[in-house]
Amino acid sequence: MNTHVKKLFVITLIGFSLTVYFGLTVFILPEQYMSHEKLVSQPHFEVEISDREISLGESFRLDITTENSGEYGDIHILSTAFPTLIEIGNVVKIITYDFTQPPANTMSGDEMIAKYSGGLEHIVAKYSSIEAMSRPIYPGSTYHLSQVITPEKSGNFSIYIKSVNIPHTSDLSHYPQTGILDHQEEYVQVYSVNVNP
Amino acid sequence: MVVLRSKITNNFLNNNSKHIFLVGCILTSFGILLVTVGGSWDITNHLLSKPDTFFSSPHAMMYLGVTISLVGVIVSFLSWRRLQNFKNLYFSSLKNSLVGIALLSGAGPFDYIWHSNFGLDGLLSPPHLTLIAGMFFCAIGGMIGISRFLTINHLKNHFRYLLILAIIPVWLSGSGIISSLSLPFSDTDYFQFNPDPTFAFIAATLGFPFLISMSALLVFRLSDFKFGMISILGGLFLLIYSSTAIIPNFALIDSVMFYSLNLIPFIIADIILFFDKTRKSLIFVGSLLGSIFYMTYYPYVMYTFNEILLGKMVSPSLIYFVYFEMIDDVLMLTAIPAIIMGILAVFVSERVSKRIFGFNVSGLNSC
Repeated sequence: MNTHVKKLFVITLIGFSLTVYFGLTVFILPEQYMSHEKLVSQPHFEVEISDREISLGESFRLDITTENSGEYGDIHILSTAFPTLIEIGNVVKIITYDFTQPPANTMSGDEMIAKYSGGLEHIVAKYSSIEAMSRPIYPGSTYHLSQVITPEKSGNFSIYIKSVNIPHTSDLSHYPQTGILDHQEEYVQVYSVNVNP
Repeated sequence: MVVLRSKITNNFLNNNSKHIFLVGCILTSFGILLVTVGGSWDITNHLLSKPDTFFSSPHAMMYLGVTISLVGVIVSFLSWRRLQNFKNLYFSSLKNSLVGIALLSGAGPFDYIWHSNFGLDGLLSPPHLTLIAGMFFCAIGGMIGISRFLTINHLKNHFRYLLILAIIPVWLSGSGIISSLSLPFSDTDYFQFNPDPTFAFIAATLGFPFLISMSALLVFRLSDFKFGMISILGGLFLLIYSSTAIIPNFALIDSVMFYSLNLIPFIIADIILFFDKTRKSLIFVGSLLGSIFYMTYYPYVMYTFNEILLGKMVSPSLIYFVYFEMIDDVLMLTAIPAIIMGILAVFVSERVSKRIFGFNVSGLNSC
């Protein structure tokens, strides 16, 4: 092979390789990846309350098991809120949890993310809550949170429970999907325990 | 008997001090390689799992690397004192390593105290900046020591592959500096250290292309223009980045194929320079390697450009949707400055290699 032909061959090879590289990385593969379905993780939870009626000064136990019944997700949040409490104080005590992050308390007046916006919209909390979080979350993974609650007043003691997965890609990314809206304008399941004087 | 043994030991150390110095430099570079790999893994760990403790596997890897580097610098220092010839030639290597290891050793306790007082810190924080600066100085020290040893002793063939170990930590720690100045990962409950989005855009657009081109051309020059060095160095960088930033993220695993295509430009660079080592070819290679920075620094570089171009909240599992959404715009905006920085690296790498060798080594046909 003479030098001229060799040079031509190398230039053709390089030109072809660069066309393949830039063609694939800038034009073909981005289209293909963009057309992939986004993964949809789907939270669900089961709640067990030890007593539906107690006397003032007594405690009841709240056990929650949450699950990702959908695909892989980044964050799984379980929120237990107490609409009659300004702050958690000694009323709620966490007994056990197996979430990957330690549960965090929020109290009335704290800034919170709202409307499943992932941080684009915020509200000021009207009551206190406990948020437990795991990240990342694989399909079928389950987590548990157990709390002992000792109400300080008689009457109806309400608990709002919800679970939200991030990324929040559709209505499937939160549970419950209907019902009552809380202060964050997100759906909650309401549980209550009657506290006798 | 004891005196005789001491004499033998002294003779051995005196006769082999330059080889022991090389071992010190290799340990220093290898330690920094571990620190940089651990650092990249740590960023992914923070993004995916948000660990709330100082004691994590990536941190363990990083501080194992610091320990190895510390041993390397001590070995280098002790052997340097016994060097009879070339003491001055190795001094700049030792000086950089000593400054680096002082910063690295201080960064560990500083980081622990910072974590203890302010909780989780971001990518850019005083202890992290100390750590990254220490890594960079140590990596430079190791690189100078290894390169000079190979040159002075006219070592070629398989010894030249030590240059890969010498340069990859410089590239990775340089990437760490640019990343911490451009990624928006530094706002915490206590401090808001996120860089200004425009500054971050400029830092990434100018810094990353320069680093890719500089590292590739430096290994090419220091290895006496050996074919394959650029591909090995580029391939190793891609392997490290994919195994620490892509594979740990379940949602990104199918983009490994996209990322592995980035080996092509490095192989092309090697082929071009194998056939033609003129300045024209070097400039073409520099511009080519500069132009691929957005692909090479996938996935996290997306966060920098998203701040200016889209402003979306990006959950880790949605990274590539946003990355690919912006790819056309980013390339259009950054292609020219990236190519210019790639070309600039051609000239800087020439100067740096001359300084490392201590004499003119260009030897190129028309350089």
